[in-house]
Amino acid sequence: MASRAKSAAGAGGAVKSRFSQDEQRRDSDHVSFLKHKGFRWLWIALLLSGASIAGYLLIDQEPRPNGGSWYGYTLGTIGIGLILWLSLLGVRKRRINPGVWSLKAWTSAHVYLGLSLVVVGTLHTGFQVGWNVHTLAYVLMLLVIITGIWGVVVYATLPASLSANRKEMTRAQMLDALTAIDRQLERAAQPLGRAEADLVIAALSQDTFHGGALARLTGSYPRCATARALKGMGRSLGSGSEAATRVAALLEKRRDQLAQIRGALRIRAMLEVWLFIHIPLTIALIAALTAHVVSVFYYW
Amino acid sequence: MAFLIRTIDFTAAGREIIRDRVLEQTRLTIGRGAENDIHLPDLAVEQRHVQLTTQADGTLAVEALGTLGFTLDGRVVNEGAIDPRTRGEIALGAARLTAAHESDGTISITIRQVAADAGKGDALRGFALASVLPSKRAMSWVFASAILLLLLAIPVASHLTRTPVKNDPTGNTPGQVVLDAAWTSGEMSVKHQSLENNCESCHVAAFESVQDETCVSCHEETGDHAPMPRQAKGMPALSPGDAIQWRIAQGLGKEGPLGCVSCHSEHEGPVRQQASTQAFCSDCHDKLDIRLTDTELGNAHDFGKGHPQFRPVYFASFGAAKPVRASLDTKPVERSGLVFPHDVHMDARGGAARMAVSLAQYRAPLECKDCHSLNADKIGFKEVKMEDSCEGCHSLVSGRSAGGGFSKLRHGDVQDLAEDLARISSGPRPALAPARQRPGQIGSAAPSYRADFGRPVRAYIGFSNALSPGGICTECHLPTRGRTGQADLMPVNLPDRFLTSGYFNHEAHKKEKCTDCHAADTSKVATDLLLPDLKSCRDCHLGAAAVKTKKIVPSECAMCHAYHLPAGQWQPKGRAPHYKPPPATLPSAPNTTAKTTVAAFLARATK
Repeated sequence: MASRAKSAAGAGGAVKSRFSQDEQRRDSDHVSFLKHKGFRWLWIALLLSGASIAGYLLIDQEPRPNGGSWYGYTLGTIGIGLILWLSLLGVRKRRINPGVWSLKAWTSAHVYLGLSLVVVGTLHTGFQVGWNVHTLAYVLMLLVIITGIWGVVVYATLPASLSANRKEMTRAQMLDALTAIDRQLERAAQPLGRAEADLVIAALSQDTFHGGALARLTGSYPRCATARALKGMGRSLGSGSEAATRVAALLEKRRDQLAQIRGALRIRAMLEVWLFIHIPLTIALIAALTAHVVSVFYYW
Repeated sequence: MAFLIRTIDFTAAGREIIRDRVLEQTRLTIGRGAENDIHLPDLAVEQRHVQLTTQADGTLAVEALGTLGFTLDGRVVNEGAIDPRTRGEIALGAARLTAAHESDGTISITIRQVAADAGKGDALRGFALASVLPSKRAMSWVFASAILLLLLAIPVASHLTRTPVKNDPTGNTPGQVVLDAAWTSGEMSVKHQSLENNCESCHVAAFESVQDETCVSCHEETGDHAPMPRQAKGMPALSPGDAIQWRIAQGLGKEGPLGCVSCHSEHEGPVRQQASTQAFCSDCHDKLDIRLTDTELGNAHDFGKGHPQFRPVYFASFGAAKPVRASLDTKPVERSGLVFPHDVHMDARGGAARMAVSLAQYRAPLECKDCHSLNADKIGFKEVKMEDSCEGCHSLVSGRSAGGGFSKLRHGDVQDLAEDLARISSGPRPALAPARQRPGQIGSAAPSYRADFGRPVRAYIGFSNALSPGGICTECHLPTRGRTGQADLMPVNLPDRFLTSGYFNHEAHKKEKCTDCHAADTSKVATDLLLPDLKSCRDCHLGAAAVKTKKIVPSECAMCHAYHLPAGQWQPKGRAPHYKPPPATLPSAPNTTAKTTVAAFLARATK
């Protein structure tokens, strides 16, 4: 790539060279990995899938298509090669060193070739599935691909809503705002009776990130102490004391601030959760593939 | 309007120092400069940073005096409002200013210094999903090790440490290898279902494909299609692609294309081995004589287009020890040793029919099934027994028995016949005179002395007459002379099956009349070999490529032929192939059991 730019500089003069260099930079900076090089890897993946399907349909396997026929072995070899190479993206992205290997190209190829594995892997099964290590590997592969698709989709859609939810606040500011409210809340709650004071203590002492992964993904926090305190204060508002009114107003502020944080948590969780399935299942898939290949030849 | 400015500081010992001052004004400025109402000595604060103004509604307007904003309740803004009744907090540098409404109507501004947030970076980690989920690495390790242990290590270890046992042909011995059921690539075929949990019965050694000897260890009775060298020679050359595949496969220890598993692929679900296609057979048999120059088999590739004439097994000479095979085109003459005109017996208006009508056991003209009954295999027929099928008319009754019934000559052995005839001649004879014998009468002149036993030659004459031309035996048998010149009968020789290399299922053809194929109704002599020829079969049966119509049946080779020898006929339903054929009908030994006791007697005598 660099050499091409250089040769262009030699041939077309300094202006053109500058332009092409800028184009190259713009490309690498602003073109999505999906559109990389005019969908180069999409076409390669489509070609691979098409060729696999054509071979499957044209080659007559006796007595029926099967992973153990020569075509089955061919597809299986392509499949395992792809899977091992695709899983190396995790290694590639940690290698920040010079070389003619674009991480964007790798990611683009990772996505499109990963999708073509659905075709290659399915044809390799010959549509024979059962309760065995072979189908386990196939199902793991499908799960990894599905979570990968989910990852691409959320990366394309969710960052906008994450930004909208922030309302120009950073995460630190969201926490700071909560801390500010908490400080005021603590002082405002001084005149309160025991019962109300306990509610405020519970709200203040609860971890900002209370709730598990499920709560984050659904945005449902049934044990939220702030919401409980607000409910409890609502009951005692009948007394109408000024302090109680003030604490209730601050608790509402706290609830709203928590809602923003939890909104951020929810979107963040949606953005990240696929990787928590994608990566462990990829490793599980490689283990299952090992068992698959070894068992097939062990009991040949 | 007044502001109560309350400054809270801490001594080195941590004790709080609270200083209050009251400013009677509606507007406050906050900044680093000394001229401000609230002076904050903090470099992060502007000289004149924020101005607070009381509003008519009791709220405080907060605005930045410069371009640098301030933090109001955690948000960085340039202007905002605080309702002192619900309080608000302004952060400027390390100072936190809290505005609150006091009971006397003043607005208090409480100033505190906060320590820098040391753990803020850590707190931010809480936003990541990783803070509430187990790490990806830990999950990967757990999943991968569970899979490798359960699905690889345990089966391999238990396979390597097992005690090998001899295979059980009934397939009821459970396997020893643990968890290898997860390795199966599909359910076993119908006949191997019982081996589902005994993988190592076939997969004997690690990384070795299933060997023929393992198959044969149970399937002892399954014969080769032909001797292996002849099969290899008879096969056409493999295509280059197949040749490469087999070279690789054999290099890796697979049996060749003639190995069991190249046809009998397993783990394809609970199915039966399907009949081979016509092409499978014609690959070799189409031009077999080119490769196997000494073969007696005719080339065949399609029953409708290329199939040799049938070559039945029959006895070509009287009393022959072995039958011969010849094509029906040579008009074979069968020398069974019997005299049996089929036409006489099958003529619905003839004497035989009249006789049958008068007999209680028939009450109708004779039909084929009166004598010929199908074997259990539906292919061949039981042997015709004289006592059951012939004696109704061809009676061998010789007299009255003492019990009031009839005595009869035994059939099947000329020795028996001789004995029975001798017994008739030596039986008690009626007295010549009714009177009682008186003393002195015996030995007197009249009547003359006679002993009470028959003439010595009478039994012999009867025997000789029976066996001579025109005698009772020769109604059905051919007379001959024994080795010492004595009267004898020609032994009856009939093969158990005429077509030994194929199967003809009579049950499947029961809608047809027997005479549609077997010209028995016009056959005048027993030497007619009443087998239908190829042409008559082709009236309905054409090759696999033929179009099925109401009359035409596309017929694969496997409809009549089996691959393994000996083996039963492949049947689309019912029992699976390779059932062990009953020994009596083994096609490879058609003449080992004698057809009649006469033949058996002769066979014993000649030995």
